[in-house]
Amino acid sequence: MTQRISKYKRFMMMNPIVQFFKFIYLSLKVLVIVAGGHGGTRKA
Amino acid sequence: MTKIVVLGAGIAGHVAASHLRRKLSKEHEVVVVSPNSNYQWIPSNIWVGIGRMKPKDLIFPLAPLYAKKNIDYKQAKAISFYPEGDTDEQKPYVLAEYVAGDEKGKKEKVTYDYLINATGPKLNFGATEGLSPGNNKAHSVCTYTHAQEAWVALEEAIQQMKQGKKTKILIGTGHAKATCQGAAFEYILNVEQELRRHKVRDMAEITWISNEYQLGDFGMDGMLLSYGSNILKSSEMVEMIFEDRGINWILGAGVNKVEDGVAHYETLDGEYKQETYDFAMLIPSFSGHGFKAFGKNGEDITERLFKGFMIVDADYTPKPYEEWTVQDWPETYQNPSYANIFAPGIAFAPPHGISKPRKSKNGTDITPAPPRTGMPSGITAKLVADNIIEMIKNPNHELHHKGSMGNMGAACIASAGFGMTKGSGISITTYPIVPDFKKYPDTHGRKLGKTFGSIGLAGHWLKLALHYAFIYKAKMKPFWWLIPE
Repeated sequence: MTQRISKYKRFMMMNPIVQFFKFIYLSLKVLVIVAGGHGGTRKA
Repeated sequence: MTKIVVLGAGIAGHVAASHLRRKLSKEHEVVVVSPNSNYQWIPSNIWVGIGRMKPKDLIFPLAPLYAKKNIDYKQAKAISFYPEGDTDEQKPYVLAEYVAGDEKGKKEKVTYDYLINATGPKLNFGATEGLSPGNNKAHSVCTYTHAQEAWVALEEAIQQMKQGKKTKILIGTGHAKATCQGAAFEYILNVEQELRRHKVRDMAEITWISNEYQLGDFGMDGMLLSYGSNILKSSEMVEMIFEDRGINWILGAGVNKVEDGVAHYETLDGEYKQETYDFAMLIPSFSGHGFKAFGKNGEDITERLFKGFMIVDADYTPKPYEEWTVQDWPETYQNPSYANIFAPGIAFAPPHGISKPRKSKNGTDITPAPPRTGMPSGITAKLVADNIIEMIKNPNHELHHKGSMGNMGAACIASAGFGMTKGSGISITTYPIVPDFKKYPDTHGRKLGKTFGSIGLAGHWLKLALHYAFIYKAKMKPFWWLIPE
């Protein structure tokens, strides 16, 4: 096992308060990508 | 009155049927033909496989919901296709055989005006000698029953580790051309976390085995991701996670035979090797269901409908990797021979892979097949439903709703461990799913920003939130349609 994620980074990854805001951000980001639409490619 | 028959009640079939029912008046008939009695939210199977969810948490019976929503439901499996009818039946139909109830074994000609083939893949365990869920200490998480069996075996292994037995765990792909590396990736990280939770992590050697050329390929040719303020290759991200979790890996491995506790595989270098294990979870290859199709006079016209999976509006001209373009991928999922037949989700035949094809020195193809996860399955099913609705209103209408995987984003929220405070998830979005090297030549065919990765507790919450949201949506509860695919 090789530590590749620093203790600080790990703390940030697992801190519920930081991650709550990250959750909101990710939810919106995913929604934007999904709602961003889709379409064809052949008549672009 | 128009009759629309949907084959399959997985993500694609259920999405298509539910949107058709909501948008069409009651004079039109929506029929679902599926051998499965339950709807299952497949992305959560991995949590059943580690004992943190029960099958009942991700399934519900289809018959009561469809009865309530005025969708005709036949628990039957499709056998063969008659897109021109036959000498006795003028209308096109699918021959289906009931698999349960009083009518079990009875065959019926299910006629249609429009047909949506959303039968998904056949789990082709038979393509790998000795690979069968629950046999040879190898398991699967492809269905909730497989996942439940995997958990029983894993729990037993954990108990043995608690008594001091050193254990080898092997997780990955069980065939040289398997896909769905994402599910195996989620499972290996969840298993690793569960072993830590049970305080037996030091008793286990965990190994990833995959047909990918590089870590993080996922059958999507890898990705270049925005990761915080950095730009990272998906291979680097997965390598970081595996090293941090103490997971070994074997790449470019085409598993060709499984014996009791031994996986035999061929490498891209042409070597034949084997890996021993005490517990394995190996994803099988996927294939079409082997359906046959017949013309009006009984002649075999299978090649007009199927190429393994169903033929749609893709460009199937064989060409080398360097000449692949996003334009090869289908836009409407309509069969070119029969305009009233569509195949969204996993049921359509892809024009080619997404990952660069590679052969071993012995000539064996060892390349991930292209994945088509829940999100594109849902999106393509909805656009097929919308096109059919427009065709019903105006039969000569051009199909307006298009969704090529070369112009569609996808989110993959990969669980990396279960738990409200100890859990973790790897959130990855990618746009487009199929890389467009002409549009994004400097970022490996994808748009940075829309293609990003993030690791942390929030990812677990997001995956859990999606679990509940999509089951709510699938149950067609109030305002379900507001939840996007």
